[in-house]
Amino acid sequence: MLLQLQHLTLGYADREIIHDLSVSFKAGEKVAILGVSGAGKSTLLNHIHGQLASVSALCAQSQGLVESLSLYHNIYMGALARHNALYNIANLITPFTSRLAEVSALCDALELDMPPSQLVSRLSGGQRQRVAIGRALYQQKPLFLGDEPVSALDPAMADRVLELIIARHETVIMVLHNRAQALAHFDRILGIADGRLTLDSPANKLSLAELDEFYAQASPDQVDVSGYVAGDLPSNVRGDGA
Amino acid sequence: MNAFAKLLTVMMIGISAGAHAATFTFTAIPDEDETKLRSRFDKVADYLETKLGVDVQYVPVKSYSAAVTAFRNNQVQLAWFGGLSGVQARRLVPGSEAIAQGYEDQFFKSYFIAHHSTGLTKQESFPAIGGYTFTFGSKDSTSGRLMPQFFIERNLGKRPDDLFKRVGFSGDHSRTVAQVEAGVYQVGAVNYKVWDSMVAEGKVDTAKVSVVWESPAYPDYQWSVRGDLDAKFGAGFKAKLTAALLEMKDPDLLASFPRQSFIPADNEDFKPVEDVAKAIGLID
Amino acid sequence: MTNRLRFIGRWQRLTLSLWALCLLAFILADTEIIALEPWNELGRMLSGVLTPDFFATEQLIDALWQTVSFALLGVGLGLIIGVPLSLVYHHPIVAALCAFIRAIHEIFWALLFLQLFGLSPVTGILALALPYGTTFARVFHDILCQAPKVTYASLPYGSDAVSRWLYGKVAHVLPQLLAYVRYRFECALRSSAVLGFVGMPTLGFHLESAFKQGHYSEGAALLILFIALIGTLPYWCKKALLPLYFIAALWFLPPVANIDSQLIWRFVSEDIWPQAIRDWQLGELGLAAALGQSASWAFELLQTQALEGIGATLVLAFAALGLTHLLVCLLLPLGYTALIGRIGAGAQRFGLLLARSVPEYILAFVFMLLFGPSMLPAILALGVHNAGLIAFLSGKNIKDSGLETEGCRGLDGFGYQVLPRIYPGMMALLFYRFEVILRETAILGMLGVATLGFYIDSNFSEIRFSGALLLMGVTAMLNVAVDAIARRVMGEQLRQPQRC
Repeated sequence: MLLQLQHLTLGYADREIIHDLSVSFKAGEKVAILGVSGAGKSTLLNHIHGQLASVSALCAQSQGLVESLSLYHNIYMGALARHNALYNIANLITPFTSRLAEVSALCDALELDMPPSQLVSRLSGGQRQRVAIGRALYQQKPLFLGDEPVSALDPAMADRVLELIIARHETVIMVLHNRAQALAHFDRILGIADGRLTLDSPANKLSLAELDEFYAQASPDQVDVSGYVAGDLPSNVRGDGA
Repeated sequence: MNAFAKLLTVMMIGISAGAHAATFTFTAIPDEDETKLRSRFDKVADYLETKLGVDVQYVPVKSYSAAVTAFRNNQVQLAWFGGLSGVQARRLVPGSEAIAQGYEDQFFKSYFIAHHSTGLTKQESFPAIGGYTFTFGSKDSTSGRLMPQFFIERNLGKRPDDLFKRVGFSGDHSRTVAQVEAGVYQVGAVNYKVWDSMVAEGKVDTAKVSVVWESPAYPDYQWSVRGDLDAKFGAGFKAKLTAALLEMKDPDLLASFPRQSFIPADNEDFKPVEDVAKAIGLID
Repeated sequence: MTNRLRFIGRWQRLTLSLWALCLLAFILADTEIIALEPWNELGRMLSGVLTPDFFATEQLIDALWQTVSFALLGVGLGLIIGVPLSLVYHHPIVAALCAFIRAIHEIFWALLFLQLFGLSPVTGILALALPYGTTFARVFHDILCQAPKVTYASLPYGSDAVSRWLYGKVAHVLPQLLAYVRYRFECALRSSAVLGFVGMPTLGFHLESAFKQGHYSEGAALLILFIALIGTLPYWCKKALLPLYFIAALWFLPPVANIDSQLIWRFVSEDIWPQAIRDWQLGELGLAAALGQSASWAFELLQTQALEGIGATLVLAFAALGLTHLLVCLLLPLGYTALIGRIGAGAQRFGLLLARSVPEYILAFVFMLLFGPSMLPAILALGVHNAGLIAFLSGKNIKDSGLETEGCRGLDGFGYQVLPRIYPGMMALLFYRFEVILRETAILGMLGVATLGFYIDSNFSEIRFSGALLLMGVTAMLNVAVDAIARRVMGEQLRQPQRC
């Protein structure tokens, strides 16, 4: 058992976001969390990250990219814990060739075909998402926690990146919007509505139609966004609020 | 020698100035022209070097108070002080003494100058300058501040702040002249030598500004030395130095101060200056 | 009517209150214009400017280099002091201590260190490094506070604190930090030159003599060189060359006299104490009598010098602040290429270079010839100088914002898009600058404006260090108080929702 949550309630002083939620995760699972906006998915994911910080790599919606640093440095930040402070400072001044080779290989795998010295501020939305994923991958942790990490990628690219993430992690827990992606790549699907767990089922027992129905029930008045496929967003749409 | 080498030499000369242990150092601020201090006083240093047989170096400073500090801190052992700064310095360095003064410094004087709009003309008695705007020279000047303030207080019985509409400190004798000429201040006090040479050089329009009063004579500039000279440079060093200063006859060297010659002096000669400084509260 | 009043938003309110305050200061200030005949002297100045004499100054190259060298070393040491302090700046005691140190003009630090280290480069470099270091502490702290915090969540568990701080926080704002250091270096060049006024071997040493004694051809040449030095900063101050400059600065430093511990001991044990305490030390006075006399000495000093000094300092500083704001508002549109055209904007930029490079001391002297010895020349000098600086920095902000190329043309574009975007930054600069204005009032005492700086200078020239030190303390406390009030006012402003 990787993590067991029992009767979990989360929220701020004036607003509860997660109500009495119980769920457990086993090592080796690939879990997709679905739900409409505001259902509490990100809150739950951040809580999981808090519990499993030492073994997990979080790829948050806010990305946390540093505009004035290069592509290389932004990905290298995943390895900060593996090196001492002096090494990290030296690397900030001039990259170590061995690390540069590792990061370049990762860039190739993520189809980031610009030079690693490129400043992140010059990248498009889809490229930025892949840099954020690159940082999480470079942490080389057994557990990947992702909060809509591929939302800005085209479907084909998103599939390839999801495969890469899953191949490199023993366990994956990921918040998603795209039901087709959830069914295609994950083996367990959780549905969250109004802070409650309303769906918990192996993926192979679910169909796209059933998932559509889950969304319709969860929020009859909300616009269905499941089919929405974002292309590479313009670079001024940034999640990190810079 | 190519240009680069010249430049380097210039820099090295600039950089090598500064004292090391066995060097005898002195400073001087002339009352008139303060430009090219180093070029002018390096010649004086060379002269002293041949007379004294030790390394002599000139340390340029910007103000009398900086000269006093350098003297007190033993960064210079000899200094060409104004009357007031000499008194201040010797009070701070026990055993120090005045050894020579300029010939002209036995009977130095200040001029009070006034803008033509005041209608004041030259007179023997102290002019009625109360109510005008007035500027001194620099705050620590003997001829531009100390003595004029003393004469004002003695003759008019009030402190300048109470007497004048405004009181300024121009910072320099030639500034005082320029400001009174322009009417910025209506009356000012100035070192007589500076005024005379500015008039001689045509640097002042005497239709706009003129001398209205000449102060009585008082002692001013002097050479002062620290008391530990003989201990540091050998017995008889102070006597040798005094002789060297008194024997300085080269007009080119004397023009740097500018004085016609140097004559003997001692601390007692400057007692009047000290009394005046105490009287107006510049020293305790 | 009430509907209209609601459009008076936060920045409008701030601006209006600022104007009211500054107008009050202006009314209180002595701004009498005295009929004069400045033309002789101005004619001499003009002919000096027209016939600059570059060969009148001895060791000119050395003076130029030492100006750069002191600035470099001062900023370098300032960074060593300021960076660690910026990390603990949130502590009120640290903030107050820094405000205390910043409040005192470089010249007075130099006069103080002159007593401790003599005429040594240590004096000049420390005099720059202390106020600059504490300024770095404040500004770096403010910039770091603005850094986004989201990066921390994506850093691996167990990263060490230094790496987290560097990669997760500093890296975000590094361009701003570097830009600020660069700007401070330009300021340091000015300060370094000004230190020449008290005897450091920089350009100011000769510049002050030349102007003081009316050698305007020499003065004009020095001023032209100085302005050229600052104007060409982007061309000679390259990142790659900095290490070289640093090594050269250290190598060619004038010899450092041995630090004499006796001087330092004498200074702290004798010089800084009032006469009565010294008498007590010498056994000439009982302790009670010594304390009593010292108290009455301090009281008299505060009454006769500090109170009047505080009044004049505040009045002068606020009047100058108002003028600065007014001038910036006028000057800024003149530099907007899309509004004024290329030639006009170029002329504005050159004008700003002149305004911010010519030392206030010299501006004040020219204004005094024109307007007479009131507070007016001092207000004008401070206003012109600081407006030149703020308009220059705000102009840079406009350029960086890219609005000019985005087709915000004409006065509409400037009024609706450019001004609202840069106004908050401009006001922040103005408030930062107020502290500097407060400090700079010190060197305008020669106009007979009896600011605190005037009295400090008097005490130094009368070799009364205890008085000078007491007044420096008063100056610093004044700055701490103004800083605290400004923070409170700005802080409340910031908590209100923005509408402008």
